[in-house]
Amino acid sequence: MASSKNKLSGFLKWIASGWMLILFFVLFFLFWEYSIPLFDVPRYILPAPTEIVQKGSADIDKLIYYTGVTGLETIIGYAIAIILGLGFGIAISFSSILRRTLYPFFVSIEMTPKIAFAPLFISWFGFGLLPKVIIVVLVCFFPIVLNAILAFNSLSNELTLFHRSTGANPLKTFFKIRLPAAMPQCFVGFKYAAINATVGATIAEFIGSDQGLGFYISIVTGNMRPDLAFAGIFFLTLLGLSLFGFVTLMEKILIPWHISMKRINK
Amino acid sequence: MDQFIKINSLKKVFGEGEDEVHAFGPVDISIKSGEFVSVLGPSGCGKSTLMLMMAGLLEPTSGEIYFDDKSVSGPKNDIGIMFQDNTLVPWRTVEGNIKLQLELRNLDISKYKDKIFNILKSVKLEDFAKRYPSELSGGMQQRAAFCQAMIHEPNTILLDEPLGKLDAMTREKIRSDIQNLWMINKPTVIFVTHSIEEAVQLSSRVILISPRPGIVDREINIDLPYPRDLSVKRSNKFFEYVHEIQEVFHEYGVI
Ligand SMILES: Nc1ncnc2c1ncn2[C@@H]1O[C@H](COP(=O)(O)OP(=O)(O)OP(=O)(O)O)[C@@H](O)[C@H]1O
Ligand SMILES: [Mg+2]
Repeated sequence: MASSKNKLSGFLKWIASGWMLILFFVLFFLFWEYSIPLFDVPRYILPAPTEIVQKGSADIDKLIYYTGVTGLETIIGYAIAIILGLGFGIAISFSSILRRTLYPFFVSIEMTPKIAFAPLFISWFGFGLLPKVIIVVLVCFFPIVLNAILAFNSLSNELTLFHRSTGANPLKTFFKIRLPAAMPQCFVGFKYAAINATVGATIAEFIGSDQGLGFYISIVTGNMRPDLAFAGIFFLTLLGLSLFGFVTLMEKILIPWHISMKRINK
Repeated sequence: MDQFIKINSLKKVFGEGEDEVHAFGPVDISIKSGEFVSVLGPSGCGKSTLMLMMAGLLEPTSGEIYFDDKSVSGPKNDIGIMFQDNTLVPWRTVEGNIKLQLELRNLDISKYKDKIFNILKSVKLEDFAKRYPSELSGGMQQRAAFCQAMIHEPNTILLDEPLGKLDAMTREKIRSDIQNLWMINKPTVIFVTHSIEEAVQLSSRVILISPRPGIVDREINIDLPYPRDLSVKRSNKFFEYVHEIQEVFHEYGVI
């Protein structure tokens, strides 16, 4: 009882604090809707929101299926990037040899726009799932690994002295001190990568594929159907938001103590 | 009593060349087992540096430290240290932080249940055992850090300004707690402080350090009866000690 009441009041509070944003969206779509006939914008240039919803619903089966395709590429690539990024991040943090070789190598690759490799991967690995996953891994890996390196190298001086004074072995120190202390900064990388992930998958699909939302958007745009392109974009946004929301939720569950989140919640 | 800690021409210089900072020493100190020694000196004179070198956490530029004739050559695990900045981790509760000390030392936590409660009670934090450090005031955090540093009941205790962030009243209370703790178990205590009164009240001996680079300027044996409660603090002799030390720092120009 009490908890459902709390949930309700929490929801009301959320509405209360978010009303300006909601109002903004409502006004934004109203403006969009009514400025189309007002300025006589042709529908093959920019359709009205209601038309997007109408035409999009007619194509909903395809849209949902393609969301699944792009979603799968995104999630597999993102998960692999997290595993690799954390693994390399930890290895580089603890090995001075890797820090002097692999680390500068990663930093310099970080400067190249990874998406430029996409056509190459497609020509190497074909039109299927694999090249998209590789591209997603590529665009997600660097923010994760670089933030992980930063995270595992910035243990506070006091905590370093503290664990040394106890004589704890490195494994124990890692799991009880280093890993939890590094989590907040690691999540900065995870979140940044979550934003990159859908971008990577979409562009990879633009370049070469026969399914997925990126494929869909590029085809319908070619057919002069911006209404359907917007419907595709809507589902892409949904996908991106879900992934980001999931990571934020994981952050709340795994590191509820993290101060920056507490401050924002207050 | 036998000589327990022996420090020979200990010196610390940070950095090299242009960036060189002569932080501390050379200094000779000897401490007997069971003594309560305060290290008193102005900010930046090298008190924390001395602590870290004694704990084996910082390598001296020159000189040696011996505990019971054994030279310190790496982190000492058989002592208790309370660092100047608190070592509470934000992801554990107060109780969890105290347990962290035990876990890292491979000690059996189940044997410490009562001790954890008692030490928290002695600093009036027993109701906050399940709270996170971010939910505590600065002074409460410092008290929790004190419990964390003491839970494994070390025989030698290094305290780096443990009462620095406390209000005057709590300070008075914890001082007497520290004094009681010392009178019962007679650990060897090295106590860094800025407060002259605190040093006189607690210590059997006060070591005065000059401004940076700190050297031992004078050592004063405090010949007052324990426990040093309010009546002792109001005695003339207490004030004479305080004045004597004030005089020294006045000469340095730090007060
Ligand atoms: N890691 C370091 N690198 C360079 N200089 C240092 C370092 N640690 C301390 N110092 C210098 O050594 C001197 C002594 O520092 P220390 O922290 O021991 O002083 P302190 O007596 O504990 O001061 P306070 O009472 O303010 O804590 C200072 O001048 C400080 O700038
Ligand atoms: Mg200090």
